[in-house]
Amino acid sequence: MAEISEKYNTKCPGVKRLMREALELAEATEEYCARPLEDNLFEWHFTVQGPKGTDFEGGIYHGRILLPKEYPMHPPHIILLTPNGRFEVNKKICLSISGHHPETWQPSWSIRTALLALIAFMPTPAEGTIGSLDYTPAERKSLAKKSVNWSCPHCGEIKTLLSSTAAKPITEEEKTVLNQIAFKGEDEQTPKPQPQPEEAPQEAEPQVLESSEPITGFLDQLTEILVALLVGAICIFVYRRWNAYYAATEAEL
Amino acid sequence: MADDASSSSGFTGNVVDNSINQDELIMKQQREIEKEISESIPLVGDLEQLASLEKEYNEDPIYLLKVKDLSSKYKYVRRTRPDGNCFFRAFSYAYLEHLLTDKQEYDKFYEIAKNSKDILVALGFSQFTVEDFYETFMEVVQRVGEQAGGSPDTLEAVRTDLHDKFNKQGYSDYIVVYLRLITSGQLQTEQDFYQNFIEGPRTVTDFCRQEVEPMYKESDHIHIIALSNALKVGVRVKYMDRGEGSQVIAHDFPEGSSPLVHLLYRPGHYDILYA
Repeated sequence: MAEISEKYNTKCPGVKRLMREALELAEATEEYCARPLEDNLFEWHFTVQGPKGTDFEGGIYHGRILLPKEYPMHPPHIILLTPNGRFEVNKKICLSISGHHPETWQPSWSIRTALLALIAFMPTPAEGTIGSLDYTPAERKSLAKKSVNWSCPHCGEIKTLLSSTAAKPITEEEKTVLNQIAFKGEDEQTPKPQPQPEEAPQEAEPQVLESSEPITGFLDQLTEILVALLVGAICIFVYRRWNAYYAATEAEL
Repeated sequence: MADDASSSSGFTGNVVDNSINQDELIMKQQREIEKEISESIPLVGDLEQLASLEKEYNEDPIYLLKVKDLSSKYKYVRRTRPDGNCFFRAFSYAYLEHLLTDKQEYDKFYEIAKNSKDILVALGFSQFTVEDFYETFMEVVQRVGEQAGGSPDTLEAVRTDLHDKFNKQGYSDYIVVYLRLITSGQLQTEQDFYQNFIEGPRTVTDFCRQEVEPMYKESDHIHIIALSNALKVGVRVKYMDRGEGSQVIAHDFPEGSSPLVHLLYRPGHYDILYA
């Protein structure tokens, strides 16, 4: 943390907020733990315990939390890394109040809220939502078993990350909030806004928020080009066939 | 000039699944528009002559008449960014600016502000995050208090500082969040009263969670009534729209109070007025 406080402008409320959250979540609990990467306050890694009494019981799931530079005004994104059968891995999912616009994130929620909501949301039906998986209970249970041996290149073996201390109990207010939060992936049908050269806000913040984006962007583009070529080829083929047919009928006449 | 998606708030409750994608496309577009707006308009602008409004309505006799009526009572206008937070931003800027020259009112406000955190925590808001917003909010309030009622020279420095803070997204949004929380707290404390203002089956708590606490949600009468009651501050809003007559109608919140903050409302947006 010492390193981080040198690197960021601690006067900036967003930075101050994340440092407070890091402090609040510093001690691992039985249900969850989360901490920022050594060199980046805006990317965290988290571990959660599969909710008891569900197909995920006994499972341990690890992932990344990407915080927008506007945090806490804008919601964090969550990416699961451990295969779990409920959410696609390596896919950004975001939280919103069920049935409402994703913009209903509230600045008074925190990373803890997001993690508790994620745990609470895991056993809910996938219902074909983007980023959701509808694996059978058997598959989920088998993934839960395997998950404990999963290891993160940053954090090491994830089964060592949680502790046996119970987390701070969920308050009444949190409980009502948690019941309303839903998670879903981002719709990839819509074109992603081009990364614009942002003017540095207040103080420099490292640009590591979406390291996987350029690769997927490039793949998307490649697919688009291939599809366009294919469609073009089909058109030419049809046109030529039609021409040949037309010429043949004309000759017959 | 529409601020955000809140005009659709009345029916967001029954969005069907297949319209969500459509919704998201609209949201995305909206975000792009918002981005464009945010790059061109400062969060809180400089003081401008009221006549600057005339330029906007060169070809519009109804609005021109109304600007004229407005200019009989007000000399200047200060514009705010139309990002859905404009009421809260305009209100807090205008009020804090007023407090600079009114020590007595400052002392009264300071007490209310100081107690506000405990009220929110008692209502069940997470202590941890409320504290975070409260501290930044009070930092700005105390900066005003240092010189409140002081000589014009010393005030100038605080004024500049205030203007800078309100134009720093971090600080500025934190102030907005805290006022949104206070508004939500007031609505929930007096639920029985405010339930009458809410259309449809939503409870006050639902309403707060969907229309008050999230950023960028536009403010309506109910927000203004709740905030002015919570802080015990009179607000006069001049409503300038295409309605009949050449007069700009004023509303005072709470009713019958003597206003310390004067705002100009044009459909979907609030700016600050100065006599």
